[in-house]
Amino acid sequence: MIDTAAKQTAAQCRHYAMCKIDYLANGICPSGPEKHYVAYYPQGRMDLYRALADDLIPMTEALIDVAESCTLCGICDPQCHFVTGLRPMTVMQALKDHVRTHLDEKRPVQRPEADEALTRLRAIVGHDWASNDPAILFTYADDPFPLAGIRMPRYVVLPGSRDEVAAVISLANEFKMPFAIRGNGGSVFGFVFTDGIVLDMNRMRRIDFDVDNWCVSVEPGVTSFELQQEAWRRGFRVNAAEPAATVCGNIVCTGTFSPWSNVYGTAADGFIDMEFVDRNGKVFNLNDKSAPNVYAFEHAMIPSPGVCTKAVVKLHPVTDDEEGVLVPFADFREAVAFARDLSQRRIALALAVLGGQYISTFLSPSQTLSDTIKHVLPDVLGIRYLVLAVVDAHGRAAIGRMTSNLIDRALFRTLMLGLPRLGETELIDIIRGYEGNSAPYELVCRPEMRPLLEAILRPSPETIAGSVDEDLRDFYARLYARPEMTDLVWLSMFRIVSARMSRRKHMFAFLIYVPLDRVEVIEQIIAEFGRIADVHQIDHDYGFLTPMDFGKRAILEYDYYIDHTEAVEKQKIADAMVTIGPWLDGLAATTKGVTFLMQVFSQGCSRKENFLYRLDAL
Amino acid sequence: MRNKEREATSVLLTGGTGFLGSHLTVALLEKGYRVCLLARSRRQQPAEYRVGALLDWFGLPADSRRRLRIIEGDVTTPGLGVAPAVLRDVLRQTDEIVHCASSTAFSERKRADVERVNLFGLSQVLECARSSAARFFHHVSTAYVAGYTSGWCAEEPATPRRFHNPYEETKCRGEQMVIAACREMHLPLSIYRPSIVYGDSRTGRSLLFNALYHPVRTALFIKDLYERDILERGGRKAVEMGVRVEPDGTLWLPLRIEVIPEGGINLIPVDYFTNAFLSIMDGAPDGGIFHIVNQRVTRVEHLIDYTCRLFRVAGIRACEPEAFAAAPRNAIETLFDRYVEPYVPYMSDRRRFERVRSAPLIERNGTRCPQFDFEMFARCMAFAVESDWHSPLETTELARQQ
Repeated sequence: MIDTAAKQTAAQCRHYAMCKIDYLANGICPSGPEKHYVAYYPQGRMDLYRALADDLIPMTEALIDVAESCTLCGICDPQCHFVTGLRPMTVMQALKDHVRTHLDEKRPVQRPEADEALTRLRAIVGHDWASNDPAILFTYADDPFPLAGIRMPRYVVLPGSRDEVAAVISLANEFKMPFAIRGNGGSVFGFVFTDGIVLDMNRMRRIDFDVDNWCVSVEPGVTSFELQQEAWRRGFRVNAAEPAATVCGNIVCTGTFSPWSNVYGTAADGFIDMEFVDRNGKVFNLNDKSAPNVYAFEHAMIPSPGVCTKAVVKLHPVTDDEEGVLVPFADFREAVAFARDLSQRRIALALAVLGGQYISTFLSPSQTLSDTIKHVLPDVLGIRYLVLAVVDAHGRAAIGRMTSNLIDRALFRTLMLGLPRLGETELIDIIRGYEGNSAPYELVCRPEMRPLLEAILRPSPETIAGSVDEDLRDFYARLYARPEMTDLVWLSMFRIVSARMSRRKHMFAFLIYVPLDRVEVIEQIIAEFGRIADVHQIDHDYGFLTPMDFGKRAILEYDYYIDHTEAVEKQKIADAMVTIGPWLDGLAATTKGVTFLMQVFSQGCSRKENFLYRLDAL
Repeated sequence: MRNKEREATSVLLTGGTGFLGSHLTVALLEKGYRVCLLARSRRQQPAEYRVGALLDWFGLPADSRRRLRIIEGDVTTPGLGVAPAVLRDVLRQTDEIVHCASSTAFSERKRADVERVNLFGLSQVLECARSSAARFFHHVSTAYVAGYTSGWCAEEPATPRRFHNPYEETKCRGEQMVIAACREMHLPLSIYRPSIVYGDSRTGRSLLFNALYHPVRTALFIKDLYERDILERGGRKAVEMGVRVEPDGTLWLPLRIEVIPEGGINLIPVDYFTNAFLSIMDGAPDGGIFHIVNQRVTRVEHLIDYTCRLFRVAGIRACEPEAFAAAPRNAIETLFDRYVEPYVPYMSDRRRFERVRSAPLIERNGTRCPQFDFEMFARCMAFAVESDWHSPLETTELARQQ
């Protein structure tokens, strides 16, 4: 018996793998770190329940183990809710109930036989770390990417070392079997599927610091969150990607970009060396003289250099006077000019021009509040863009001289913890009645207004917790009582709220490197994304823009939003891509400084200069 | 004009869901005119629904509504956003045009919107007038086309060099535009220049709670905020701000409002405006420019006193600018200062408006502008509080959204 509501929840899983990292310091699903396969994390159980509901897999031995290993501890519920608004506990319960009923009714349970390839894979990695059980395989067969369908691998393997990786690849070559690499087991953008072997690197999780050399060595199963956490504990920072993304996987795919790319760069800027197993099973380091030149960039879709088994990542210094601030703007050009100025003058560390959709989603623990704030920011306060800047005391003083409209650490905390009251009708009416020439946000930013603002918003962990389901409020109140939850430096480093971008619907992000000195080009790109989305009736919004290389270039994100469970919505994206692909290719060919991130795919180790400044014309 | 003539007269009125426009619509229908109302739809509420909600609020009887035709459109859209065939039909039947549609926003931030409505919108209505059968154009303007000036302002075209805000500027440019166009069309023109309009003097009812109302509402918002802080949360924020409860239960708010010790606010009730408008419409067949204003201005100090008495507040006081040099503004004062800043030119207004043309027409039937005293203030504010400071249209929109 399938629970329809649980099935709907299961189908909405975004595969962001946030249930695989302890980003709320609330613990992690106990079976995951023990068993390592995706199936043993809440994400996998969501997939399996959906598969059972749609009759895509049989009841198997592994599936029973997956269901029974869930203790219904409840950790996954707030963990998933924080980023997606989903409550997976209903699915966990439904999966256990379904399996229990199946067993009680003494219905058949499949136990796939081991063939020769599996036997040899198990000989390499150990019996427990290779499987052909359909339940295990299914959790590597699908993702929310709307343009990819289900593709079942034959085997999933969890190697524990570089040598095991090399041996698995040699075996795959011997059996003429394709393979795909999953850093953290997950997939979001429909790329890492295969009919052959999936290598899930989740067991390779070593982190070794070499502080004298300002670097840290990470294995491919280490996530950005975990590395940042370890670096931060030691007083360093790394340029990290989305928290659940693996460090190695991210570098190899596209290079790491974040608001910190303003100072830390991207691609080859982020590492000192990397270790690969090539497609013949041979090990090489990028610093080897005989290694392939992956620092070069080719404007084409090319395969990755191999399987990354280690990255030696740069550590960056941290000063104790860092502060995250926001500067509001009503006008895009003004916001871009300000951000560019900060970048050119080397004032900010992390830096980005955020749109209303982004910032309202980041700040709001619930979608309802986010929807309200998304309108309050522009329509009531006059804020259409916010420049996020992490600065030291000198930078903070410089920004203070450049603008009086500054949301500093204290004001940000007030606004964030009082956010639900900002959306209340009475306050909105009062602000709307303001007829002065300056934007209402300028009034909010005035230091002398703080006491009144605090009286109005009553900022507290309890106030912001009031915007979520009643049974989660205690958890959220405890969570938001932690200083880091209202600290823009911490939030920008660990990026745990970025994953909320897919809460409303699955996000389809377009990333383009753009010339920051040509704002009209950026505006044209934004307008064209908007136009195409409107034609295809797709929800869309500007995402962010981060200056790079001293304000000469930037990376732009524009987002489309679709319900990935609806066939009609998937078709809309497919139709839109027919226009978007050739348009971006044409734009990149004719406009210096424009490169679609898709073209960088698998070339994340290249020098950024080779794709930011293409010298084709010289 | 006799009733029969009125029944034969068809008026095309713009801005019918606005404050003045809706009152004029009802007054014209009650007088027996046939009215064709150009109204916008908004937030998925069709114009017909919005106008219906307003007429219900006015309590307009069904037989008067039979003389009303509602056309969904928007003055800021070429051709008023009406299907050409429908527009042709309307214009063919139009005897007089009453142009009320206007943006009353003061902020420079909203200049583009204000210009779009007050200038482009007017140009579109004038274009329609050209191809209509209209024999008269009535243009609702404002006394404040006078701009930066002091002393007497004549009932003549205004030619100020500076304005306080885009509203004054666009209304003045609008007057110039409408005068030139009507002269070219040989179309008689009346320009009506009200001062600041508040609710109905008899009932206190109003559709709009800006201008006079908004500073009072803001003060009450702050009062409620600190009262709740004292009652529900121990009053820590109130202490920080110097807010306290007096022994007699009134709330003491440390709020100084900057006032120049001259002039005052020129306030007229909306029923006086509509009566005056109809008197002028009836009594000035050749048109002209007419001030609809109060001969007696209201001092800000009186408004402060009325607010304190009615809402049991103390501590609010008018101060001359020098007072703020000695003691900088606190948060409440900063907020208030910013809020009343756009209204400063109207709070201590030294402009005086001639009534040479308008007074004889308005007063011939005994119509007099009532004094804005405490009772009037209390009546208007009681209605505002009862309405939760929302017009009936906003209330229905809110209900729909919820």
